[in-house]
Amino acid sequence: MPDLSMRIRDLTLRPGAAAVSTQISGGEIVGLAGLDGHGQDVFLRSLAGLERNQAAVDLQGNSIASFRDAEKNAVVYVPRDRRSTGIFPGLSILDNFAIATPGRDRRGLLISAKARRARYEDWKERLQIKAPSPDAPITALSGGNQQKVLLARALARDPKVLLLNDPTRGVDVATRLVLYDLFRDLAAQGMALVILSSEIEEILVLCNRVLVFRDHALAAEISGAAMRTDTVIAAMFGRQA
Amino acid sequence: MTRIFGRYGFAIAILVVLLIANLVMNPARFAPGNWGTLLGLAAPLIGAALASTPVILAGRGGIDISVGPVMGLVSAVVIKVLYLDAGLASPFILWPAALLVGAAIGAFNGFMATVVRVQPIVATLGTYLILGGLTLTILPAPIGPAPDWLKAMAGAWSFLPLGIIAALWWALCRTPFHGQLMAVGSDDRAAYTAGVPVTLTRFLAYVLTGVLAGAAGMMLTALIGSADPKVGANYTLIAIAAVALGGVSLAGGRGGLLGAAIGAVDIFLLQSLLTAFNVSTYVLQVAYGTILVAAVVLIALQDRSAKRSHA
Repeated sequence: MPDLSMRIRDLTLRPGAAAVSTQISGGEIVGLAGLDGHGQDVFLRSLAGLERNQAAVDLQGNSIASFRDAEKNAVVYVPRDRRSTGIFPGLSILDNFAIATPGRDRRGLLISAKARRARYEDWKERLQIKAPSPDAPITALSGGNQQKVLLARALARDPKVLLLNDPTRGVDVATRLVLYDLFRDLAAQGMALVILSSEIEEILVLCNRVLVFRDHALAAEISGAAMRTDTVIAAMFGRQA
Repeated sequence: MTRIFGRYGFAIAILVVLLIANLVMNPARFAPGNWGTLLGLAAPLIGAALASTPVILAGRGGIDISVGPVMGLVSAVVIKVLYLDAGLASPFILWPAALLVGAAIGAFNGFMATVVRVQPIVATLGTYLILGGLTLTILPAPIGPAPDWLKAMAGAWSFLPLGIIAALWWALCRTPFHGQLMAVGSDDRAAYTAGVPVTLTRFLAYVLTGVLAGAAGMMLTALIGSADPKVGANYTLIAIAAVALGGVSLAGGRGGLLGAAIGAVDIFLLQSLLTAFNVSTYVLQVAYGTILVAAVVLIALQDRSAKRSHA
């Protein structure tokens, strides 16, 4: 199997802004940084096919021009706003987990509740989800555990590229550490992860490389030893470090 | 079990009270031997309530007010066009024909509401008017009779169509469609980002509503033993009342066919109790309205307190 690579060629995030080109490979954790509203959010959503991306994004040669393409090519996006675009407040934890992959629990024609529960229990263990019963409403969980259920939902789709929009926002420290370990594990297994974070420390701890956005253009691409708080902040504000 | 009771608790409580009141007031009518006939009497309303449910579950203002006229049209097509004019009497032709008519109208409604994106209430109001006129064109005045096997479905065999619907719904709840329907109704943006085919799911909800409305039309035909162009439309609003009474959230994503059926039985029992008291039909309407408002308020209060206990 050839190494996974997602290529972005001349993607303009806003009319008039300079085009962005880069490549994201399997096994890599790429951070997206920038002051809020400087294009990193649009960039991430473009990778997911949720914004018009002028067919500038492809994965192994398959163009990701729409959300449907993203879905077909196992590019999975986890949205930022958990409350309005993530969880289904009216449904149970189990249903919230299984909604993206209902066909997996099919035994014959019908869904087996047992198979679904077993699948959930696996993820529950792996992500250390602290939840009462799987039938409890998702709103009974803490923010961190809701986020873990959402991640379990996304991971159940076996993504090749996982796009995370501020995955640790409103999540407690202990849960963060669990998630960091998980992200590193996933990358080690060959998945490509793109993580938008509003916290620079998080990106420094987690990522191999950071793309810093300013004015809807790529201001800097920093990796290795040059990746420090001061260099990232300088790029965010458009100054030389 | 507790979950079912929690959601439908109010409708079930009314059901028990009304059932006991009916048994006391009217023991002869509610004798076990008459249950088939009683169910046959209630069947069109139950069917209409079941039909109204899927689109409401699909959320974002989903509603189908053409359910009643579909019942009328199905009745006219089956009796006038197929049975009397074309001489087709077999249940294996008439039932599929009825369901197909319903499905076609459901598909049209679904196309208008989900692809063209006309507001569901406006789209189905258009269908309501079209079908009303179409039915009267096919069948200007009541005509009969219905085939004997169909009339039997309002008597001893009345449990059959409802039983089949119940079995199919049970199966449907164990397919991906049900989960997707509830997800779309609960929050369509979240459903979209989770990879649920939102438009297709909503469209299928309209088709399902159409099919169930076709079945309800057959139950209506069975009950009146003929085709009457004017009866069907009356079921539209009372069916929606039954759905609301049965704990189905009109905002979508909560409830199910069982609740809608219980709501419909509640209304039927209320009707039969008040008729036993010789109350005028005008008062009957006041009673419907009152019980509906009370039910919706109580369900809203219950939802609010449930939300607070989780927050």
